[in-house]
Amino acid sequence: MKDYGGVVLTTPISMGYARQSPHGAAWFVGSVLREMISAAGLTKKDVDGFSVSSFSLGIDSAVALTQHFGLCVRWLEQANVGGVSGILALRRAARAVQCGEADIVACIGGDGAAHRSFENTAAHFSSWSTDAAFPYGAAGPNGPFSLITAHYMERYQAQREDFARICLDQRYNANHYPQALLGHKELSLSDYLNARPIAGPLHLFDCVMPCAGGEGFLVMSEDRARRLRLPAVRILAADECHNAHADDPIQDRGGWTQYIESLYDRASVGPKDVDFLQTYDDYPVISMLQMEDLGFCKKGEAPDFLNKTDMRFDHSGPGVDKLPHNTSGGQLSCGQAGAAAGFLGVTESLRQLTGQSGANQVAKAQTGLVSGYGMVNYDRGICTAAAMLQGVDA
Amino acid sequence: MNIKDKMRKRLKLNRPSLRARARPPKHRSVCGSQFSAANLPGILQLQNCTDCGHVQYPPAELCGACLSSTLIYRETPCTGTLLAQSQLHHSLWEYFKRRIKKAPWPIASVQLDAGPVAIVHLVGNSFSTGDRVKVFSHSDASRSVVLLAVPESESIDTPALRRNIVDTIQLDQFAEHQQGI
Repeated sequence: MKDYGGVVLTTPISMGYARQSPHGAAWFVGSVLREMISAAGLTKKDVDGFSVSSFSLGIDSAVALTQHFGLCVRWLEQANVGGVSGILALRRAARAVQCGEADIVACIGGDGAAHRSFENTAAHFSSWSTDAAFPYGAAGPNGPFSLITAHYMERYQAQREDFARICLDQRYNANHYPQALLGHKELSLSDYLNARPIAGPLHLFDCVMPCAGGEGFLVMSEDRARRLRLPAVRILAADECHNAHADDPIQDRGGWTQYIESLYDRASVGPKDVDFLQTYDDYPVISMLQMEDLGFCKKGEAPDFLNKTDMRFDHSGPGVDKLPHNTSGGQLSCGQAGAAAGFLGVTESLRQLTGQSGANQVAKAQTGLVSGYGMVNYDRGICTAAAMLQGVDA
Repeated sequence: MNIKDKMRKRLKLNRPSLRARARPPKHRSVCGSQFSAANLPGILQLQNCTDCGHVQYPPAELCGACLSSTLIYRETPCTGTLLAQSQLHHSLWEYFKRRIKKAPWPIASVQLDAGPVAIVHLVGNSFSTGDRVKVFSHSDASRSVVLLAVPESESIDTPALRRNIVDTIQLDQFAEHQQGI
């Protein structure tokens, strides 16, 4: 596979996080665009590629938004793939820039959170979900994920205390990231264990809070970023694989296994060399599947791995091994802003690798791995993607 | 009270949690409605591919194995193995919210011997992973067909027996709210 040489990601924007919002998806996407071009010192005319991910655009599509925002673009994409939206967008946009189909691509994920809109999204998420998952208790994603979590706990003897490791360290990170909706609250092990039950083994702090928000970044040539004096990040390697292991009766691995060795090869970087890891944390067990499938530990050994690993951004935890993980608090502490949640790991990595993080900056972060997971079409998430990123000055 | 206030009050009261009767989710895709229709008689009817013999669930327009469109509903062996179970304490739907107030709602995923994996309503509380179960279809209070799992030892051969099982979890009755509108 050809590398992504000569292309960089810049100008990460995260904005507008709110538990409920009167604004629609277009407001969030457009506001990210406004912040982005102003932060990069560009005008709308400079943006000639536009990639949009959103669940709540309703009858509008990406092309409708170009008219709303007065954009004239020669490259357009709409990637509604939830938790892998960010990595999908960056892969597509990087190729477009590399091939000269666009010079500057704005990749944006944004979703509103109107009163009771989540219930509607969950009820009409997909035809298989509507026909064969939602009628069974109408628990939304909590239903299938409680079954996946129960199966993982039974098969690999995982305990709720192991899941707590992820939630607690992420909350610590969120306490240092001002935009996190739950960042103002601390979370202790007893808070976590005594939380009210939601579905099977899942309790309140295992579940993300649906919210509104927007995330985005720009993709352009390395030369252009240098001329604009924008701190930038290279893509060392990136892959995706969807609907892998379809014959597994219940999910305990994902498509990452299909490409991760080759990804590390192409990036010349292994799991031991990364300065941080951003996983898609809709539920803690899914972060654990990613750690296993991405080669940080063997299948079924994530509970042990978590217990000896400190996942705080500042290495202040008691764990011997250090692996800053979901350094902005992830969705578990920031909130899950629809398709923007698939951008969360990418924008956070860009801030970390360009030294633009504030209080939650990982010291000397040069290389980071981002992973995406998403779309519970029926009983499991069927999308996976991963990208190895490195700061340009590194 | 003028019309404006009357309408405002209506709007305020017209929410699922205040309605007298709540039903399970009724909406289905076209394939889902066909599944409901096919399952009104019999224990369990699933889509069979007449080209390659693939048995599939959830229902779809084409065979997921060979992409042929020659799918027909056929009576399918209803036995299977319980993969995982979970008790729901929270729901997005008023009908289940009312049921859950009384007791957590059990669901499970079952690997059917015929091939597919089904998410089902679990009837009873004494299951463990790997248990043999029977899965049958039945209409719920919204007149949509759903799947239920019972221990393999239970007899589900006649419609009356199956109706009795559905009755025990009140799936064929509305969830009532006193003083609801």
